[in-house]
Amino acid sequence: MASKFGEWIEDRTGLSKLLKTALDEPVHGGAKWSYVFGSGLVFLFILQAVTGILMASYYSPSSTAAWGSVYYLQHKTSFGWFVRGLHHYGSSAMMILALVHMFQVFIFGAYKKPRELNWISGVILLLCLAGFGLTGYLLPWDQKGYWATQVATNIMGTIPVIGKYIKILHQGGADYGNFTITRFYTLHVFLLPLSLVFFLFIHIALFRKHGVTPYWKMREDVLRDRVDPFWPDQILKDVVFALGMYAALAGVIFWTGGAELQAPADPASNYLARPEWYFLFLFELLKYCQGKYLIVGTVIIPGIALAFLFVLPFIDRDASRYPSKRIPFFGAVFSGLTGAVVLTVLAMHHDSRDIHIIHQREEAEKQAARAVKLAEKGIPPTGGLSIFLHDPVALGEKIFKESCIGCHKVGGEGGDNGPDFTNFGSREWVAELLKNPRDQRYFKETGLMPPIKLPDESLLDMAEFLLSQSAGLVNQNIERVERGKGLVLKGTCVACHPMGNKDMKKMAPNLTDYLSETWLKEFLRNPADPRFYGTRNKMPAFDRLSDSQLDALIQYLFSLSKDRTLVSEKQEKRKEEYVFGLTAPRTSIHFKDRS
Amino acid sequence: MENNRRKFLKIVSHSLGGVLAAGIAAPLVGLGIHPWLKETVYGTEDFINLGKLEDFPIGIPKKMNVTSSKMDAWNVFEGLVMGSVWVLRKEDNSLSVFSVNCPHLGCGINWGEEEKQFLCPCHEGIFDINGKVVSGPAPRSLYSYETKIENDNVLVNYKKLI
Ligand code: FES
Repeated sequence: MASKFGEWIEDRTGLSKLLKTALDEPVHGGAKWSYVFGSGLVFLFILQAVTGILMASYYSPSSTAAWGSVYYLQHKTSFGWFVRGLHHYGSSAMMILALVHMFQVFIFGAYKKPRELNWISGVILLLCLAGFGLTGYLLPWDQKGYWATQVATNIMGTIPVIGKYIKILHQGGADYGNFTITRFYTLHVFLLPLSLVFFLFIHIALFRKHGVTPYWKMREDVLRDRVDPFWPDQILKDVVFALGMYAALAGVIFWTGGAELQAPADPASNYLARPEWYFLFLFELLKYCQGKYLIVGTVIIPGIALAFLFVLPFIDRDASRYPSKRIPFFGAVFSGLTGAVVLTVLAMHHDSRDIHIIHQREEAEKQAARAVKLAEKGIPPTGGLSIFLHDPVALGEKIFKESCIGCHKVGGEGGDNGPDFTNFGSREWVAELLKNPRDQRYFKETGLMPPIKLPDESLLDMAEFLLSQSAGLVNQNIERVERGKGLVLKGTCVACHPMGNKDMKKMAPNLTDYLSETWLKEFLRNPADPRFYGTRNKMPAFDRLSDSQLDALIQYLFSLSKDRTLVSEKQEKRKEEYVFGLTAPRTSIHFKDRS
Repeated sequence: MENNRRKFLKIVSHSLGGVLAAGIAAPLVGLGIHPWLKETVYGTEDFINLGKLEDFPIGIPKKMNVTSSKMDAWNVFEGLVMGSVWVLRKEDNSLSVFSVNCPHLGCGINWGEEEKQFLCPCHEGIFDINGKVVSGPAPRSLYSYETKIENDNVLVNYKKLI
């Protein structure tokens, strides 16, 4: 049955015959590991295509939606981060492999007659790759891509006479906007792939016509007599190479956690842009071409280099492929290459020592983490950037500066009447409080609480337990929590502090749910409640603040230490339900409370 | 001898190729079927407020817009009209909230003031005031939503059809 169907298909299509002719290509001189680079590139290209197509079904090309859709892909889908990582690192791998391939072709002299057009189509393919890298960088519409691409479009603008128009055409206007994305997207997913496939077809067809170019020393008789079939001899090597590359890519993705997604592009920020590594040398070159010489770096030098590549097969006409006979060309190519490598290393070296860049990288990482956290609650239709406008921490900071800073210090700024909130809610902050409540940083001489005379480790255990009662403590250590629980419950704390029973009235604040959002909220509303300081209270009540203002204030307080994430208790609860939603797809998800 | 070597090479190529294809396909398929695994578009509230009970006349269905917040993949839309429903307040102050979509093929149904029946314009479906099929091709009575009254407010669970 199956074979009958197979015969029918074969009869109507001649598919397997076609496949045979495609695969029975003789490899003169024998299958070689040194031939795997070309097929490796084809493999990577296919990988880029399939990952790209899949990502396109999650991507939304507009300046308000792009970042959100990439955020969703990266953080909300299963394997989205991995597929995006494949696409991202796959592009770098293609670049490396293309350079290796090209370099090998150069050393082997494989561009010589009759393979001139093969070489030229190869140079065009390399340009296509650069185009892919350039256009893809912008699409997430994050800080990095946005600012790096500005550099690229401004370089376009430096081309004499037509530069301005080319730039406008690429940007889709005088400035960046929706059309910049749609245009870059069109280039990236339609125009460049079509051109690449077209030139790849030519490239491979010409390769099939002329065959492999073996090592220049291979003797004619070996070349004639040793013939391996393409399938399976060469293909096995190709497959092993592809598998190795895929494994390496997967390794890099797991190691780095996938491609980076920075905070949404902010045209008002002054971000120090850096392009993808394979453009760094051009970027560095521009540093040395300033003022009216800018055009030397943007147009003239790259133009000369490109022109050299295009005409190489026509100026190197000697039939011999021995390197010793081609010394001037080796000299030219190697000096160009050395220049590029030196410039790249210089750029990396500068960046790694530039304090501004280092600082900015840290800042960018923080911003990105914050953006991802905020996006969790949904991104307003006004776009990725506007999530920051709704950032409770920013609002909370404002409220703190209006209402609290008169008495409480943060980072050396503020009044002295209340405890210092630098590092508030961290393990150290609580442990120090336990150790010396009458310290200048805490309750001063008015504090009634006696210091707890225990080793620092035990105080940290207690802090760990106390903080574990609220959501958002990072890297919680369960053993410490248990030990701390023992210390608090069996120790003298509960002699003054009620714990576990909210209604119990004792002389010191109730420690049930200590520092949780609800605890803090109720405390801020009425610190004189018997649950808290009771009659000894000195802190003003903040019951005039609205619910959402209090929420924001608490989020701000939580942001003061690294030990706490800004996940609110509500969100925490939500998350569980969301995970539940994963296993049972159509379970309703309660996103009821949103602050 | 040579033939055996080739055969072996073929088997190895096939199996390594299979491993590679499977390794690539797994994450791609995982990502591709994401909408099966997670809700991507959903209202963010269960019970949505439709207004005060006293605003609904007894015995006459009233069409109400359902306004709520909606998550659409990465976006959250506040105060979006998600659709509409027919609300019927009965003598005993109990409520029926019907979907506006006909259970036949989903056309929007109207309340015929004279006929005192729900009428579907598409294939002449007719339903009585309690949503039961009177005539026409509909296979079942009108879909309705879970509803409750809290502090005199009419709340409807717009997520679940019953
Ligand atoms: S859709 Fe209503 S009767 Fe057919």
